[in-house]
Amino acid sequence: MSISIDAVTHEYRPPRGRPVLALDRISLEIADREFLALLGPSGCGKSTLLYLLGGFLPLAGGAITVGGKAVTAPGPDRGVVFQHFALFPWKTVRENVLYGLGKKRLEKDERLRIAQEHIDLVHLTGFEDAFPSQLSGGMKQRVAIARTLAIDPDVLLMDEPFGALDAQTRIIMQEELLAIWGRSPKTVVFVTHDVREAVLLADRVAVMTARPGRIKEIVETKFDRSELNELSKTPEFVEQVDYIWNLVREEALAADAARAANPG
Amino acid sequence: MIFPVIVPVSLSDCGSTQMALVLRRYSPLLLIVIVWEAVTRGGLIDELFLPMFSDVVIAFWEILQEDLLYHVGRSVARGFTALACAIVFGASIGVLMAWYKPVRILVKPVIQCFYPMPKSALIPLAIIWIGLGDASKITLIFIGCLLPVVVSAFNAARGVDEVLIWSARSMGATEGEVLREIVVPAALPEILHGVRVALALSFILMVSSELIIANDGIGFLIGFLGEGGDFKGMFACAITIASIGFCADRLYLYVSGRILSWQE
Amino acid sequence: MAGAQETVPNDRKPSSMRAIGGRLFETVGPYSVIVGIIVLWEASAQWGDIDPFLLPAFSTVMSRFFADLFSGKMLMNAGLTLWRALTAFGIAGLLGVTLGILMARTVPVRWFFDPIVSIGLPAPKIALLPIFMLWFGLFDAAKIMMVAFSASFQIIATTWAATRAVEKELIWSARSLGATDRQLLWQVILPAALPQILTGLQIALPICMIVVLVTEMVMGGEGLGSAMLRASRFADSPGVFSGILSIGIAGFLVIKSLEIVRRRLLSWHQEVAQDRATV
Repeated sequence: MSISIDAVTHEYRPPRGRPVLALDRISLEIADREFLALLGPSGCGKSTLLYLLGGFLPLAGGAITVGGKAVTAPGPDRGVVFQHFALFPWKTVRENVLYGLGKKRLEKDERLRIAQEHIDLVHLTGFEDAFPSQLSGGMKQRVAIARTLAIDPDVLLMDEPFGALDAQTRIIMQEELLAIWGRSPKTVVFVTHDVREAVLLADRVAVMTARPGRIKEIVETKFDRSELNELSKTPEFVEQVDYIWNLVREEALAADAARAANPG
Repeated sequence: MIFPVIVPVSLSDCGSTQMALVLRRYSPLLLIVIVWEAVTRGGLIDELFLPMFSDVVIAFWEILQEDLLYHVGRSVARGFTALACAIVFGASIGVLMAWYKPVRILVKPVIQCFYPMPKSALIPLAIIWIGLGDASKITLIFIGCLLPVVVSAFNAARGVDEVLIWSARSMGATEGEVLREIVVPAALPEILHGVRVALALSFILMVSSELIIANDGIGFLIGFLGEGGDFKGMFACAITIASIGFCADRLYLYVSGRILSWQE
Repeated sequence: MAGAQETVPNDRKPSSMRAIGGRLFETVGPYSVIVGIIVLWEASAQWGDIDPFLLPAFSTVMSRFFADLFSGKMLMNAGLTLWRALTAFGIAGLLGVTLGILMARTVPVRWFFDPIVSIGLPAPKIALLPIFMLWFGLFDAAKIMMVAFSASFQIIATTWAATRAVEKELIWSARSLGATDRQLLWQVILPAALPQILTGLQIALPICMIVVLVTEMVMGGEGLGSAMLRASRFADSPGVFSGILSIGIAGFLVIKSLEIVRRRLLSWHQEVAQDRATV
C-alpha cells in the first residue's frame, strides 16, 4: 500500500491558549512496502503526522490517502504500535493478540491459530496466559507487535516503539523487527528521534523541521542489511548517520531557540 | 527516646509466620481489652460510663439469643440493596457521562450542585417524601452512595489512556465496542476504589438513618438500649456494627483484589 | 482525553458554525440545565397536580429561605452548626496530623495505633454516638467530640501515609547537608507531605459536615440539622427545603474555603502551577 501525504496541515489546540500550528503543508510520498523513518527534534510533529495517518486526529488542511483511499478514521488496514505498548492490562497475552482478530469474520479455530502463530513469531511461546503486568518492557512490545501484525494490516505505523526500552533490549528488538519485516514486507512508517536507529532500519529517512513541521530533507539509506551488526561499523553507514545527525541538530537548536523566545 | 515495650518477639510456636504477623499487628487491641477490663473491674472508672468488657461480651451473647440477628439482618439488607443499586446506576451514569458529551453537559451541573451537600441533610427530606419506613432509608443510602460512585466512574472513564482506545479503534472496533470492551475494564480499578468509599458511606447512612428514623435495625437497637439504660447491651451493639463495617471493608478488598488480579 | 469519537472527519473544517455553536453550548450548558430544572420545578408546582406538601413551589421555598435569613434564625443555626463542625475539624486536624506524623516516625506509636486506625477507618463510628452522649452529656461537647472522632481516622491514616511516603532521597539529601532532626521534620518532611495531608483534610471536612448534622438530628437542640428535622416532624416542607438550601450553601462555602487555603499553601507545588483540576 502506497501512502500519499499532500500539503497536510494540523493545528494543536491546547485547553488554554491559542492554537499552535503543528504541521505546515507537509507533503510526502511513501512507496508500497517501503520502510520509511520519520526523524526530527522533539515537538516537530512527527508523532502528530503518524496519528494523522492513523486517522486519530482531524486534518486542518490537505489530504492523506492510503492505497488510493482517503484516510478519515482509524481502521485495520493501518496497524499501530505505540511507544508505551498500549496493551490491555486486564487481558492475557493471547487475549490481547486475539482482540483485533475478533473483529474479523473468522472461525474461532482460525483465530486461535493465527494468534498462536504470531505469538510464536515474536518468540513469546509459553507466555500466552501471562498478564502484561508480569512481562518486561521488551516482552510487552513484542506482544504489541504480534497483536498488530495478527490482523495483517497493509501499513504498519510505529510511534517510537523502542523508546521505552533499555539500550540492550532496543538493539535486539531492532534486529527482530527487520527479520519479521523481511519475511512479510509491508509499508512501514517508523517515527523515532534516534538517528542511528533510523539509518539502521529504514530505506529512506525523512528529516522534519522544528515546529511547525515540514519535510527538511529525505535521505536514501539503502544498505545491505543481511548482517546488521557489521552494517553499523561500515564507513558508509557512519557517514550517513553523521550527515543526518547534522540536519537534525540544526533543527533541534532552532527548536530550542524558539522555545527560549516563547516560554510557556 | 527509649521506649520499653514488651512485644512478643518470637511466636514460632504458633505455626505459620503469617499467623504470627497478624497476631503481632493486632496485639495492641488485646492490650486495650486487658486495660479496659482491669480499669473497670478495679473501679477506676464508674461502671455507668464504661461497663466491664466481660459484661459487654455477656450482653452481646444475650442479645444474640434474642433479636440481634434480626436487626442486623434488616440493616444489612437495606444497606446492601441501596448500595447495589447505587453501584449499578452510578457506574453507568459516570461512564456514560465520560463518553457522551450531551449526557455530561446535562448531568455534571447537577452533580456539582450536590457534591458539597452533606448527604445526611437529605434525611428530613426522605421523611417528608417517603415516610418512616424501609423505603426512605433505602432511598437515602442509595442517593448518598450514588455520588462517590458516579464521580469515580466519571474520572476513571475520562482518564482511560487514549492509546488504548486508539489501538482498539485501529483494530476495527466500533464505538460501542470500544466503550464496552475497553473503557469499562480500563476504568474498573478506579471505579472499584470509589465503590469502597461508597461502602463505608452506606454504613454511616444506614446507622444514621436508623438512629433518627428509629423502627428497626441495629441503629435503632443501639438507641433503644441506650434510652432503656442497658448500657452494656448498647456497647455490645455499637461494637458489633462497627466490626461488621470493618469486616465488610476487608471482604470487599479481598474480592476486588481477585477481580483485579491482573494488576501487579 | 477519552470520549466518544470526537474527532471531526477530515472533510469538515474546524472553524465552522458548528464549532462555534459547540463552544456556546459548552459554556452556557451547565447554567441552562440548572435554570431549566428550576423552571420545571416552579411550573410543575404552580400548574401541575403535585401536592404542595411534597413539592412546595420554588418561589415558596425561596421566600421562606430569605425570611429565615433576614430574621436571623438561619444565621444563628448555621453559626451553631458550623461552629461545631469547624471546632471538631480543628481538633481532629491537630490531633490527627500529629498522630499521623508520630506513627510514621516512631515505631511504638505505630505499633499501638495501627490496628486501631486500620479497624476504625471503615467502621461506622456514628454507631458510637449514644456512647458519646453517655460520656459527654447532651449538649455541644458530645456533638463536637463525635464529629472529631469520626473525622480523625481519615486524617491520621492519610497523614501517616503521606509522611511515610516522603522520598528517601529528599531525606538523605537534607541529612547530608547537615539538617538536624527538628529541621528535617519541619523543613523537609512536612512540606513534602503537605499536599497529601491537605487532601486528607479535604476528605475529612465533608465527613465533619455529614456527622454534625446527624448528631444534631439525634440529639436535638438548635442547629441546621435539628431545625430541619423539626420541620419534617411538623410537616413544614418549605422549612425542610429551605434548610437543605442553607446547608448546601454552608457546605459549599466551607469546602471552597479549604480549597483556597490549599492553593495558598501549595502555591509552590506544580499542581497549582499547572492548574490541574479534578471533578
